[in-house]
Amino acid sequence: MKFKAFILGLLVSFGLPWLLAIVAPFAAMRNLEPVSYAGIDIDGAEGVYLPKRSGRIAEGSAIYGAEGCYYCHTQLIRPTYAGSDLWRPDWAGLKKTADHPDTRRETLASDYQGEKVAPIGVMRVGHDLSNLGRRLEYNLKGTSLTPEEWLYLHLYNPRDTEPYRIGSQDIKENSACPSKRGLFREVPKNLAGAEALHVDAPAGLAIVPTDRARALVSYLISLKKDTMDQPIPQSLNFNPASPVAQ
Amino acid sequence: MPETTPTADANDVALRSAIDRSLRHPVMFFFTSGAVWLAVAAVLGLITSAKKHMPEFLEGVSFLDAGKIDAAHINALIYGWGFQAAFGVIIWLMARLSRKECSSPGLILTAGHVWNGAVMIGVIAILMGRGTGVPWMEFPTFVWPVLLLSYIVITIWSLIQFQVRDAGHVYVSQWYLLAAMLWFPWIYFTANVFVFSFEGNPLMAAGIASWFKGTLFLLFFLPVAIASAYFLAPKITGRPVYSYNIALFGFWSLAVIGPWAGMQKLTGAPIPQFLPYAGAAAMVLILIPAFAVSWNILKTVAGHGETVSASPSLRFTAAGIIGFLVFAALSAVTHLFGFKLIQFSYTGYGFDVLGLYGVFSLCAFGAIYFIVPRVTRREWLSRRFITWHFYLSLYGTISVTLCAIVGGLSQGEGIEAWNQSFLAGAGRAQMYGWGVTFSWGFLLLSNLFFGLHLLLMWARLGRRSSHPTLLTGHHTDSPHGPEGEVDNYGSATA
Amino acid sequence: MDHNRDNPLRRFSAFWIALLLVGCFGIACIIIRPVTHARVESAYEMISEERLETKAEIEKAQAAALDPEKLEVSREASVVTLNQTPTAGAMPLPGAPTN
Repeated sequence: MKFKAFILGLLVSFGLPWLLAIVAPFAAMRNLEPVSYAGIDIDGAEGVYLPKRSGRIAEGSAIYGAEGCYYCHTQLIRPTYAGSDLWRPDWAGLKKTADHPDTRRETLASDYQGEKVAPIGVMRVGHDLSNLGRRLEYNLKGTSLTPEEWLYLHLYNPRDTEPYRIGSQDIKENSACPSKRGLFREVPKNLAGAEALHVDAPAGLAIVPTDRARALVSYLISLKKDTMDQPIPQSLNFNPASPVAQ
Repeated sequence: MPETTPTADANDVALRSAIDRSLRHPVMFFFTSGAVWLAVAAVLGLITSAKKHMPEFLEGVSFLDAGKIDAAHINALIYGWGFQAAFGVIIWLMARLSRKECSSPGLILTAGHVWNGAVMIGVIAILMGRGTGVPWMEFPTFVWPVLLLSYIVITIWSLIQFQVRDAGHVYVSQWYLLAAMLWFPWIYFTANVFVFSFEGNPLMAAGIASWFKGTLFLLFFLPVAIASAYFLAPKITGRPVYSYNIALFGFWSLAVIGPWAGMQKLTGAPIPQFLPYAGAAAMVLILIPAFAVSWNILKTVAGHGETVSASPSLRFTAAGIIGFLVFAALSAVTHLFGFKLIQFSYTGYGFDVLGLYGVFSLCAFGAIYFIVPRVTRREWLSRRFITWHFYLSLYGTISVTLCAIVGGLSQGEGIEAWNQSFLAGAGRAQMYGWGVTFSWGFLLLSNLFFGLHLLLMWARLGRRSSHPTLLTGHHTDSPHGPEGEVDNYGSATA
Repeated sequence: MDHNRDNPLRRFSAFWIALLLVGCFGIACIIIRPVTHARVESAYEMISEERLETKAEIEKAQAAALDPEKLEVSREASVVTLNQTPTAGAMPLPGAPTN
């Protein structure tokens, strides 16, 4: 085999997938057309579907990555041909009840807006987190804990479930989630204020979250699978309404 | 010596030992520092795996948190051990096959130190919470240009040696080495630039990172392992490679299929659908080069069972090639049937370890057991160390395959059962987690034997002998001849 | 053995060929960058068009309503007020010169 033929063969066999699988999709995905309500929809909404995430997304996403959360948690709700994520309670959205419509849906490209790299995740040692924010909000409604407080307590010590367990919540006693103590610090009790965690601390001290923890929790709260107060286009709705007779 | 053919030219022997001498320092540096990194990676792997089923293990130590330690473990394994073992094999093998002495061993050694320094800074940065959060690319972004530059300084001499070799036969191993040396910078630069420098959709960044993960094994570590096998099998048995045409076919099938792999990890994500399908197809079709290569290598050593069993190099290499066949078969089955079960389970990690350890590392050990005596002019000290290294590595690899790859199927099944509590599936994972932890225990133990043995060779304490250390014979049979009585002062002439 | 192929010139060219081959996809990434970084109008920008028009209208109207002469008059007036000599007020003011 001649050297020139070898190099040519290598360049072509590598260059073709490089162009077709890397460059072209990358360029095309920068230019996604947003879903428009016009024509497809029944509720008469106007314009395009443009959910906006609020919170410290960029910073929180970077910290999520730096802490390695993606090794045990995923953030991908797959369509039904690829997995059963859509049916698992609260993972893909909220099922229809008297308070709210069915908001379950697959992951969309807009779900990762504000982040540099989508934290799809490696393994499901713990839950999928795509709908964590909405899940916490809904389940903690009417209790004394806010989603932020729940998350701070969980991050500080997932195995100490007493401060944050709600009713008969299905929490693993021996959760494999690590205690991210490095995200918290001790301050004198009288300086802690409202942020002090309700956990055992050494005498005279209180545990408060660092700014890193606040950014991370802000990001986690923003993980909502539903539409962020925008009407969901029927084409994206897992449970679309039946078409109105003409 | 079994490696020389009866008609070996005396000049050729002199040339070969000159080549070995010129490469002694860089090659020994890469192998010994690689072995140290392997031990580090094994310890980190043990801790990582333990934390998944014993979360209180080392709970108070914040820089060894789960998550960060997963990243540190895999990066130490790949960039600390994998690459340095590959460098040692590449520079020695290409020099020998091109019959050219190394012209810049000092430069290569310096670049090797820079590589080590960069990897160390990267791993420490990950543990300090400065990782990037992209699987297999967690080193902070200032590290990859340093690694790429060191890589070029290390391997460019081998590319030059190939081009100035004497006209004549090109060995199969040389194509694989050439390809691996070019493929890595192509995928590394592309992945890092598209993920970290270019601005695009976060999903495509994740996709390209997945592509890097898949192609790094198939287009760098695997070809280096295959190159080593194609060199050692004919060399040690004294027979030619079974079929040149099958070798050609095996190489080009890998070249065509490999670059598509990786994006199957994003099945179900809102990216162009052909991408994950192409990735899955590549992971199924990898059976083709696997069959071709293993058929060729195993046919080459067929009928020489005793040689395979006796030679440490050939034993490890044969195990590595069979590992490749197992890897390809399991990959084909899991990507064709029930991929949704294993997409987010232990199975992915099992494949990573099977590939990096069960295929690449076993072949690299085979090469190391061959190269080090030639480069240090001493023979390995202890059959027992080699045997223990071999069997413990085998146990570790097999148990990782069973617990992670097969166990992941059970875990995935539990998680996919959406009407059951998530904890049901997660509970199954704990059980298999224990198995993975034990596997890393075996692998750590095997590498303590290996590392110790290698360090003794590096310290020039190997046996001065023209008899190679072979793994056969009764334990009282020494390669030097029959043993005498303990108090037998008189037998100065044996 | 044929030593014709191993000479400094060949090594020199081999070095640059090797460097080129190693870097070819890197160069390709750089060349292809303009294609992958074409200007994209985001949905956010599309939606903002109307809002930005309204904003421009309002700014124009405010700029038009701004009368610089009247502004100057009131500015002069406040300057006059500020330049007065301080006199004692009804309540004592700590630190004031006319205490």
